[in-house]
Amino acid sequence: MGDADALWELRDVSKSFPGVRALDRVTLRLHESQITALVGENGSGKSTLAKCLAGVHHPDEGELYHRGERVEVRDPAAARARGVAVFYQESSLVSSLTVAENIFLGRLPRRGPIVDWAAARREAARALDRLSVSIDPSRMVSELSVAEQQLVEIAKAMSERMPLLVLDEPTAALGPDEIRRLHEVIRLLARQGTSMLYISHRLDEVFAVADQIAILRDGRLVGSAPKDRISIREVVRKMIGADVEEHFVRDRPEHGAPRLVVRGLRTPYVRDISFSVAAGEILGLGGVIGSGRTRIARALFGIDRILEGDVSVDGRPVHLGSPDDAISARIALLPEDRKADGLFFNFSGPPNISIANLAAVKRGPLLSLARERRRTGALMDKLRVDRRAGDVSVRYLSGGNQQKIVLGRWLFSDAKVLILDEPTQGIDVGAKYEVYGVMNELTKRGISILLISSDYPELLAISDRVAVVRQGRIVHVADKGSLAEHELVEMAATDLAKGA
Amino acid sequence: MDRIRRFFRTPVAGPLLIMLLVAIGVALSTERFLSRQNLMNVWLQVSIIAIVAIGATIVILTAQIDLSSGSLVALASVILAGLIKKIGVPVPMSIFLVIGMAAVLGLVNGFFSSYGRIPSFIFTLGTLAIFRGLAFLYTQGAPIFSVSPQLNPLFYRTFLGMPLPFVYVVVLYAAAWAYLRYTEGGRNIYAVGGNQSAARLSGISVNRVRTKAFVIAGLMSGLAGVLLTARLDSGSPNYGQGYELTAIAAAVIGGASLFGGHGNVIATLFGALTIVLVQNGLNLHGVPAAWQEIALGAIIALAVGVDMWRADIAQVMGRLVANRRGTAEAPASESRDRVGTTR
Repeated sequence: MGDADALWELRDVSKSFPGVRALDRVTLRLHESQITALVGENGSGKSTLAKCLAGVHHPDEGELYHRGERVEVRDPAAARARGVAVFYQESSLVSSLTVAENIFLGRLPRRGPIVDWAAARREAARALDRLSVSIDPSRMVSELSVAEQQLVEIAKAMSERMPLLVLDEPTAALGPDEIRRLHEVIRLLARQGTSMLYISHRLDEVFAVADQIAILRDGRLVGSAPKDRISIREVVRKMIGADVEEHFVRDRPEHGAPRLVVRGLRTPYVRDISFSVAAGEILGLGGVIGSGRTRIARALFGIDRILEGDVSVDGRPVHLGSPDDAISARIALLPEDRKADGLFFNFSGPPNISIANLAAVKRGPLLSLARERRRTGALMDKLRVDRRAGDVSVRYLSGGNQQKIVLGRWLFSDAKVLILDEPTQGIDVGAKYEVYGVMNELTKRGISILLISSDYPELLAISDRVAVVRQGRIVHVADKGSLAEHELVEMAATDLAKGA
Repeated sequence: MDRIRRFFRTPVAGPLLIMLLVAIGVALSTERFLSRQNLMNVWLQVSIIAIVAIGATIVILTAQIDLSSGSLVALASVILAGLIKKIGVPVPMSIFLVIGMAAVLGLVNGFFSSYGRIPSFIFTLGTLAIFRGLAFLYTQGAPIFSVSPQLNPLFYRTFLGMPLPFVYVVVLYAAAWAYLRYTEGGRNIYAVGGNQSAARLSGISVNRVRTKAFVIAGLMSGLAGVLLTARLDSGSPNYGQGYELTAIAAAVIGGASLFGGHGNVIATLFGALTIVLVQNGLNLHGVPAAWQEIALGAIIALAVGVDMWRADIAQVMGRLVANRRGTAEAPASESRDRVGTTR
């Protein structure tokens, strides 16, 4: 029997993916007219939990109860039938359809067998109007900005008028005004009886809108309390858990000469970006999603257009018009999505590692497979990569091992500057420390690292200096030790609701 | 024993086995199959398509497709015949020019479908029509017969007792295999097909690699056109009809994935042999040509189906094997994926 008072209850729900235990016996109750915020660092299991409710993922263990009755949510259609509407972090809009078509996708109003377009446009306009958004419902989604698309997606989730609304990072692309309006609508819907699961890692927002705050860490629910009985400081402490520094010692090699120097960089997304990273130094970039951290990385890797400013590597100015330019300037990027942009699933470990520097495994004009095996094997042993990596596709390795292989690729190549975008996202705690170990190894060889991480304790423990990015600018640069974690969290996250 | 087991894990084993099964089937059901004359015929028939299939495999490895190869064979054939017979260019020079032209046309395919961002499926569908149209235009629709007495020997002579087409196929396949396995260019082809985005981030020029694959495919079609002209001592705009499909089917039966990154060129040769053996078997049984077309189509559809369903098949097979052994050996279930494709 479930708790009959709760609209939805998850009981002892666990879910594992290869290499990660994403949810570990989580119990959570969602009540009518209540806004429950789910907070936690990247990779703590927030999205997985949302997807279990939405029928996208299937819990390995544990039960779901709907109004006290045990239910199985087999697929998204089943979740919908039971009154769950979801706003996903990744866009689920069809860009080749209009706004109205998207809002009513799969449930267009009809008059007999004919779609009632007038009604669809009217209702879509009304749904957008509630968010005080003026977007013409007959526009194509592909013409909208990212923020507008996000608003359409929210309007879509809300227009379904479902008893439970799950919002996974709904504000990532929104400005302060839009966030404020969104919060008003959320509160209104809650007053009308909707139960809300609001997932975010912007704590100021969470405190502004939620009734109840639940905290996830490494897949476990480590705390749950009404908003007025818990402080931001406490939430942060619970999110973080044990101090990274207790488990990890960063070797601090002597920093060499400035290696990467950026002066007055401006792109369509960031401006006034100036910093330098010495050989063997790790510069951390802190900031919330959407603050511009990744945009800085993209500019340095030749993806975003540079409008103004100079970049030099080892004193030599470099032109960064494309990733090819970046690579020939010895700048490498470890992408955030290692599956989509990092790994070759058709290769085992050795070719994955050697691909950026095949010259090192050549004998004359030909590749020597024996030499490749020997050299990459030695590296993989050193990084303590799963032995199977020598023979099987990297698909079958854990997230930590996969990440060590992608990092190993740059250890094997002659990169001078390495941009790491969320290198420990979605991997187990144990494997994280091994990844840190690889970073130590990289800097020992004089490679400069630009580290982007939403895991603040990690960022502070690993970086030699930290630059805080907010709204496309670097607002603060601090030496290791001079910036406490709560200061960083507050500096990075409190710009919107309070600052604006 | 161990060596045999290891062989069965290579990507060549499956296609070889299928080919042998088909061969045994045809041999048992007909009398003439094993005659020297018929086996020779099979080999002559397979040699030209097998050469086109090298190009098809390499293009497929980069996650592209070349539908224009059959038409390019015809265009190469009529141009060769024209150069020799109408203009009087010496045979070796003509062959050289025609193969060069085919490589350039491959470059056109590659350039527009990579740098030009027109999907290769669409672009080469266009050149399929264009190349064939040019071949008709050049000859005004009529074949060019009796091109040169120098041509026939290029196909029918022997070298150290081996028929020349056999030598060509062995040499070209050995070269393609070595290229894919032992050169940086070959490795990059697998990388681009496996993960375009990761390849770009690793410093590989994805467009250049893709274009190169099409140039190789053009070269192979050019060579095939030359050999076909040599075999028949004539050039015709009707040659090479449907070769593109047969070549693609050979690659897919050989285990190449249409998603790119997986495949082995030696296995493609067994794929080509399988198709020709099926055709030969149907011939020997006196099945009408129309039915042969239908059979080829069905084989292609089935081969692609197997490619798409591979993960599910592996799962079912894994379960069957595990049940029989009474062990809980985990089948490779997650998505469509195979291991060790560069081997």
